[in-house]
Amino acid sequence: MKNKIIEAEGLTKIYKKSVKAVDDISFSVEEGELFGFLGPNGAGKTTTIKMLTTLAAITSGKATVAGYDVNSKPAEVRKTIGIVPQELTADDELKGIENLLLSAKLHHVPNDTARKKAQDLLKLLELESAEQRQVKTYSGGMRRRLQLAMGLIHEPKILFLDEPTLGLDIQTRQNMWAYIRRLNREGGITVFMTTHYLEEADSLCDRVAIIDSGVIKVSGSPSELKSKLAGTVLTLQLTDGADVSAMLRGIQDVAEVAKQGEIYHLKLTRTETALPAIVEAITKKGLKISDITLAKPTLNQVFLQITGNTMRDAGRNGDSFGQRVLIERMK
Amino acid sequence: MPGLFMAVFWLVLFGSSFNPVNLVPSQIGGTALSPVLLEQIRAAITSVFGGAANYITFLTAGVISFVVIINAAYGGIDLVLDRQLGYLNSLLSAPISRASIFFSGVMQNFVKAMFIALLTFIIGFLLPNGLQVGTGFGVLNLVGIFAAFGLLTFGFGCLFTALAYSVKQVDSLVAIVNFLAFPLIFISSAIFPLGNFPSWLKGIAEVNPITKACETARLLIVNGNPSSGQLSTLAGNMLYLVVFAVVFAVIGYLIARRALKAE
Repeated sequence: MKNKIIEAEGLTKIYKKSVKAVDDISFSVEEGELFGFLGPNGAGKTTTIKMLTTLAAITSGKATVAGYDVNSKPAEVRKTIGIVPQELTADDELKGIENLLLSAKLHHVPNDTARKKAQDLLKLLELESAEQRQVKTYSGGMRRRLQLAMGLIHEPKILFLDEPTLGLDIQTRQNMWAYIRRLNREGGITVFMTTHYLEEADSLCDRVAIIDSGVIKVSGSPSELKSKLAGTVLTLQLTDGADVSAMLRGIQDVAEVAKQGEIYHLKLTRTETALPAIVEAITKKGLKISDITLAKPTLNQVFLQITGNTMRDAGRNGDSFGQRVLIERMK
Repeated sequence: MPGLFMAVFWLVLFGSSFNPVNLVPSQIGGTALSPVLLEQIRAAITSVFGGAANYITFLTAGVISFVVIINAAYGGIDLVLDRQLGYLNSLLSAPISRASIFFSGVMQNFVKAMFIALLTFIIGFLLPNGLQVGTGFGVLNLVGIFAAFGLLTFGFGCLFTALAYSVKQVDSLVAIVNFLAFPLIFISSAIFPLGNFPSWLKGIAEVNPITKACETARLLIVNGNPSSGQLSTLAGNMLYLVVFAVVFAVIGYLIARRALKAE
């Protein structure tokens, strides 16, 4: 069992006495892990990072980072962490290298060590040719890479990345993923990152927690989540109003059944065996199928089902309620 | 540096067009004043202005205190933007003391302000019929003048830096600054001598650190070699400014520490 380097217990953040940004979440991150918080905008991802990095006070609950209690030992926590915020905080007027050395000074890194480390990072992040240029001449991708270097200059044990590829194009984003992966695999640095890009969490993270409205909905490795959540969804409508949910539930390879009005939502683990059996059972009962659709949900749909409109807009359209029931059961 | 233009405008446009000794007409109702009387009236006016040879000599100290305070006040805008742009968070999450975050804010403004103050002094000096220093004016006078303004700048810098860290919006800071900075300057001897102030204003103006700094600077500008009586006035003023700077540093730091706490 590896060391737990970040631990949160019942972490809660209430802003201005009424806005619950983070609601009683518990999770842990192992040393060397690349852990991701996946959720839509406003889900509480940044607030969680702010609490873990001593920037926001914890309303209730407890968090330890590198063994130090965030609340009572903020100074110790600050020594062990590196942060790459959503905002670009490099000084436009300074050169790339100057920004790095300034970050090093803020973390009390001796000048010689800082210069050496800066060269390594600039090389790793392919910014060597631009180190003597003012940051205002940098492209968006270069700024993000410099920001990453600024968070790493003092060799932190844990790196917090808040939406590291926000606003980058696909190609630049994939390059960024490669850098992050290398830092984690080769540098052995623990990474806690947030993202609202599903493919980012999928391709980068060892483990993911899906967060929405301040609550962790589900967590696990991306492949676990996919196998748990994905699967074929069958939507079925019968001409007759009789409830056949129980019968459908009894069929092999039917994992879930939810009924919403006339419409049944089924989750199938093996389509090729379940589908003929369902049709057969219904025909045997003398019922008629008026509508049937089969859909293999993409990961994006899974994500949306868990965190997105279906939750928030429940009741606005009939279908979403059924989906919600389905998702709730899947967990 | 907007403060520098402000200094130039005040000195060149405001200072040059006004000279109190010229208010005395050489004749009244067709009767010429006797040169002796004219001289006596002019001497009386000059003494009201602390013995300054002309208005610019009097005003330079006022303009310097004006620009250092405006500079300190508006310098806070950068700090509010630092918060809005997320830069403040990079400082707050770094393993550095909260005091060094606060005092770095004070010092960045202090250095700029002292630079502008020095330039203002030089500009006053270079103007035709401009700043005229007394005989015997030397390095020590200059050191004394800038020590006084340094303490003034530091004290108000602490106040305005603390306020800047306490607000979230630039608008709120500008409102506070307008409400605070201008009365502070007008209720002091920066622009006019205290002699004409109504008594209720005079009471406030006399304890205003701006007045103390201006009086100190003027004394050292007009009197190259201050008398022992003037030296003790200077010592009293300096002590006052030191206490002011220390007290405001402590108050400012306490306000800032509260404002920089994790919310």
